[in-house]
Amino acid sequence: MEESGTKRLVISGIILAGIAYFLICAQPLPKELALIPVWARGLADAPTAPASTPALGDVHSFRLGDKFGYFSSSGNILFSAPVPYGLALASNSYALYDKDSTGFSVRTPTGSELFKASILGYPFFAAGRRFVMGPAQDSVAELDSSGHRAWTYEFPSIVTAFGASPSLAVFGLMDGNLVGLDRTGKEVMHFSSGGSNIPGIYGVAVSPDGKLVAAVAGLEKQRLVVLEKRYSAYRVTWHRWLDSDFRRPVAISFTSDGKRLMYEVPGGVGVFERDSRKDYTIAASTADRLGLSVNDWGILVLLSGSQDSRRLICAASPDRRLVDIPISASETFITIDGSSIYLGVDEDIVRLDLREE
Amino acid sequence: MRKATSQRSRGKRLAAWLVAAGLLCGALGAGALWAMDWPVEAPKLAATFGTPAAGRVVTGVAIAAQNGLVRSIDDGELAFAFDEATTPSGLPSTLGSFAVVEHPNDMAAVYAHLLPGSVSDYLTKVKRGTILGSVGSSGWTEGQGLLLEIFDRRKGNWVNPLLLLPSLPDGYAPTIRSVALMGGEKSYALGEAKSVPQGTYEIAADITDATDAPWTAGPLAPYVIRLSVDGTELSREVFDVAFGKGGRLSLFSSSPRPLSELRTGDGRYLLAEHLFTRGRSIIEMSVEDVAGNRRDATWSVSIQ
Repeated sequence: MEESGTKRLVISGIILAGIAYFLICAQPLPKELALIPVWARGLADAPTAPASTPALGDVHSFRLGDKFGYFSSSGNILFSAPVPYGLALASNSYALYDKDSTGFSVRTPTGSELFKASILGYPFFAAGRRFVMGPAQDSVAELDSSGHRAWTYEFPSIVTAFGASPSLAVFGLMDGNLVGLDRTGKEVMHFSSGGSNIPGIYGVAVSPDGKLVAAVAGLEKQRLVVLEKRYSAYRVTWHRWLDSDFRRPVAISFTSDGKRLMYEVPGGVGVFERDSRKDYTIAASTADRLGLSVNDWGILVLLSGSQDSRRLICAASPDRRLVDIPISASETFITIDGSSIYLGVDEDIVRLDLREE
Repeated sequence: MRKATSQRSRGKRLAAWLVAAGLLCGALGAGALWAMDWPVEAPKLAATFGTPAAGRVVTGVAIAAQNGLVRSIDDGELAFAFDEATTPSGLPSTLGSFAVVEHPNDMAAVYAHLLPGSVSDYLTKVKRGTILGSVGSSGWTEGQGLLLEIFDRRKGNWVNPLLLLPSLPDGYAPTIRSVALMGGEKSYALGEAKSVPQGTYEIAADITDATDAPWTAGPLAPYVIRLSVDGTELSREVFDVAFGKGGRLSLFSSSPRPLSELRTGDGRYLLAEHLFTRGRSIIEMSVEDVAGNRRDATWSVSIQ
């Protein structure tokens, strides 16, 4: 009698423990992330000049080979026009310029002229700001909203790399120096990258909040250096020697939320996590152009490779690759906006959405 | 006594050896100064160091050439190759396709405006004469050829390449095209104005060096400009180095002048400011190129 009571007690305990386990520890099955095609548009039928009617939804810019233009998130191609020589392109404006440019017009995506700038050199746009590189590659001017020169800075050697946030523009120089300028052109950061046999700056990135500056610097050995603004000065907060030996401009960029830094390494993309200071590599084919971003789920999206062998890769971590699609195209671009990926492939633009299903 | 004589003669021998060694080192040092080769065959100068060109002052030498290969001026190592229209970050290159090569003695040479697609970006170590690319006109340039700039990494400044490259045959002295006294909105050209009101004037000179190049980036700068008024040297500008500091590029090692203060809007050199008082003033100028060809000019001005 007593024995059967004990047995019942044990069985009841097991059942209760099982119920408790399901109530406390059980997790719902995770939804799978899927890449859903939303629309695809060919550029062949797109208008070849800007239309004056504004598009519905967000507008994104693109450049595919010698063509550029704008499209809306809903799939309306505003125009696809040829680039005669040079192009400065942003989501809200563009400027075409000649080889020996003495001035240029800055226009909106609908083609209306914002202003004409009379200044020698080549324009380039970043972080909502408009700059002009001087004819000797050793001076930069910033334009104000009416196209006048706000400031000019002459560098001691030629500019080889650049990164910007709304508050800080950083220029990497051939002599191994990084010079950071604020919105008035005042020097607020100066860093000499040492430790390598040959000084030089091959790539620069600035976090969207302007507090972190990263650079690929030097040869023999090459290194990645990350500077952080503490109080009013930028100090080295992290660095690592790289196996790379790049002697050309290097792709390096912070993700749009500023939490991660992505940079080219041989055989992949290096990732530096700002908060955890973790550093890892996502294996990818040798890359000479990268689309770098992160979506709302913290997934890294990149377009790696060169010429006809590119890959679209979405990865949650170095060992968890969610998507890896080969792309055969001579010209590509990638733009990421939240969970939407806009992929340009030669004559077509495709919108792909990352969704949980 | 004998010992003292022997010591003296040993001392003399040592001194002689030291002098000989010093001379040898000096000769080797001087040799090293001209140890580089021209990057193209039969170079024709389209701009010299300091030439005022559109939107800039040339901090190297521009060489006009219709076609041909660009070769390394010395042994070295390729440090940077740029053969795209823009960097991944969207930075454009007004130097077009270019290469940077590290040469001995911490000299980095920039070979710019090369033919797109011709830059030998696969190189690492290079020998003197190694092909780096082909001449071109990529980027912002006035003509077909090559821009060669040399950066002294130790001193952090651009160096006049003509001081490091073999001399070119040059039998022509620079030309002083005009000199003017500029005060307020008035300008008095020396040689034309008989008298000038007393006051403080800036002395501006339009100077160019001769060249047989088919195009130029601007009036070629001489190597030295000297200016004296009434026997007092007011300026002696030697176009040897250029360096940047505080966001401004300056020329000259001995008396640095920011570029913005060196040139007028039309490209003339602003040499000095001087107070001219009543009487007769003698203004003397001499200009010289790197080859040593020199031109002197003197003006006598009546100050009223």
